[in-house]
Amino acid sequence: MKLIKKIYVIFFALFFTAYVFPMNALWSTGTAYTLPKGYFEIGLFQPLRYGQTETLEWSTHPILDLLIPNITIKKAWRDFAGWNFASRHNLTYPTPLLRIISRKGTGGIISPEFDIPQLFSLKNEVLLTRKFSPSFLITGKAGLSLAAAFDELDERTTIDLPLVFHRLGVYYNGYGVNFGLDIGGNLTSRFAYMTDVDIFLLPGADENFAFEHKSLIIWNKSKKFQIMLGYKLVFGEYPFGTQWHLLPLFDMQWARQFRN
Amino acid sequence: MKFRILKNLILLILIFLIFWSCEPIVTKFEDCEDAVLYTAGNIIEPSSDVDTLLVMTWNIRFGAGRIHWFGDCCGDRVIMTEQEVTKNLEAIADYICQIKPDILLLQEVDIESKRSAYIDQLQWLLDHTYFNYGVYASMWQSQFIPSDGLGRMNMGGAILSRWKITDVERIALSLRGDQDALTQYFYLRRCMIKAKIGLPNHENFYVLDIHAAAFSTDYTKRDQIDCFKEEMDKIVEIPGALLVAGGDLNELPPGSDSTNYCDEDRCSGDDQEECRDGSDFTNEQDWLDDLYASYQPAVPINNYLADNSLYFTYGVVNTTVVTPINPWNRKLDYLFTNGDWVAGSDSTHQSTFELSDHVPVSAKIVVTQ
Repeated sequence: MKLIKKIYVIFFALFFTAYVFPMNALWSTGTAYTLPKGYFEIGLFQPLRYGQTETLEWSTHPILDLLIPNITIKKAWRDFAGWNFASRHNLTYPTPLLRIISRKGTGGIISPEFDIPQLFSLKNEVLLTRKFSPSFLITGKAGLSLAAAFDELDERTTIDLPLVFHRLGVYYNGYGVNFGLDIGGNLTSRFAYMTDVDIFLLPGADENFAFEHKSLIIWNKSKKFQIMLGYKLVFGEYPFGTQWHLLPLFDMQWARQFRN
Repeated sequence: MKFRILKNLILLILIFLIFWSCEPIVTKFEDCEDAVLYTAGNIIEPSSDVDTLLVMTWNIRFGAGRIHWFGDCCGDRVIMTEQEVTKNLEAIADYICQIKPDILLLQEVDIESKRSAYIDQLQWLLDHTYFNYGVYASMWQSQFIPSDGLGRMNMGGAILSRWKITDVERIALSLRGDQDALTQYFYLRRCMIKAKIGLPNHENFYVLDIHAAAFSTDYTKRDQIDCFKEEMDKIVEIPGALLVAGGDLNELPPGSDSTNYCDEDRCSGDDQEECRDGSDFTNEQDWLDDLYASYQPAVPINNYLADNSLYFTYGVVNTTVVTPINPWNRKLDYLFTNGDWVAGSDSTHQSTFELSDHVPVSAKIVVTQ
């Protein structure tokens, strides 16, 4: 029983932190850049990314895939007025995870009195990146998420927590939009920084706004390994009102070349 | 040089934010801290001449009425709709307005809980009754309870009054000692509320409201009841102090006919030999002796002993029981004073079956300086 509890806690932590680290590594795809062909990256909490070609990248979170199947494709397009341009498309099927956390007793995040229907979402983003010096990047992004629920989803099933509420909000609202700005650069040969802001909107919903900001210090131990430490600041509207949260961030990330 | 200072400054700020950012999920409390004052939207001028006060205590079950809540009546309900909560609160407010107590001690008041649609029930009751002032102290406050879908929780006790309330304190009671650390972390942190009511003709009128442990299987509840009495003793040492103390003690009066409610509380899926926590009071029969010996109960003990059932204040209705003939089966709710009750003024309002799993208890106290 204790083992099941531990597995459960690890799974939920991964689910939670996967939202904390949407796409932030300077190594690859916090930007409009894609991974070089044959390279892959993986982090403790970040997804596995793979460069299929010089302009096409796949990513997914392999552990979370068991319960919340998800796949992301990023495609780099032609440069636009000096800006690198890419689009990112994510398909997520959260139903198995939501059904598992809808349970009695410890670990019950959603009340078991509700049925979770089949849910799908498709998130589409455009990313524009400009390199202002060899070590200073700015990326702007905008996205539209669409969701489908194949039966009634009771609004009392919301998970009223930062990072989670507004991302799952798209399943209740049908669609949502997001905007963001990322800035990154090197502090020294080994240390880099990354800071961003994101805004999430659920037009028409009672609680429709969330603001997120994070900053990270990144220690590049080598070209193959880095450690990130920082914080995430979240302001959001929730069913109970508004609230600020400040959360710690930590991750380790590895990169390898799969083939040439 | 400037760049290096800037980099170090950024690093220091980041380190500070990382350590500062670990905000706890559960709110813990000091042993004694200020309670939270409330004011009604509309102030109604209270009477300036008070000879007696009608005091009432009521555990309102967070506005859940008689829904089959998972936690206490074998049910499967967890999260109510806003309409359900509002309907139940309207019925509670109607009853309060019918009885018209001057001072009201409440237990299980939700002010920001997912299970009750995030309605601030204390503010709602102030705005839908004639009370002008309130004081609240939380005994279960968590940003998120990862169990049974409870989610965000803020539940506590409250005192409502026509007159201004001052000197408000939240006094912590001991935590349950029979739980593992994780369960205890997310569990209730019970408390008392102490308040002074600004009566026009009495300078030292105090109220003490408690909700003691319901399901503890060790001596936690006894510690809490002892702590309640100690606080009463402290208050009555204040020269001229008049005290009303009460609430849900989750304990039977001394000499009760029945002390074991394992059969009544058992759910349909339970083992027939199993007794739910908090259902057997057999070893607790003298836990209220000191209170009864030192203070005047609103319901005189001899009246209770003559016919227990007239004074029962609690009755759970299991989902398997369709129409209970007498839903009330034990007395758990009390009012005590160091002054005098108006003889025969006590009332155990057993007609309130649909409003809560607890009965309000009221009595008139004589107010003399």
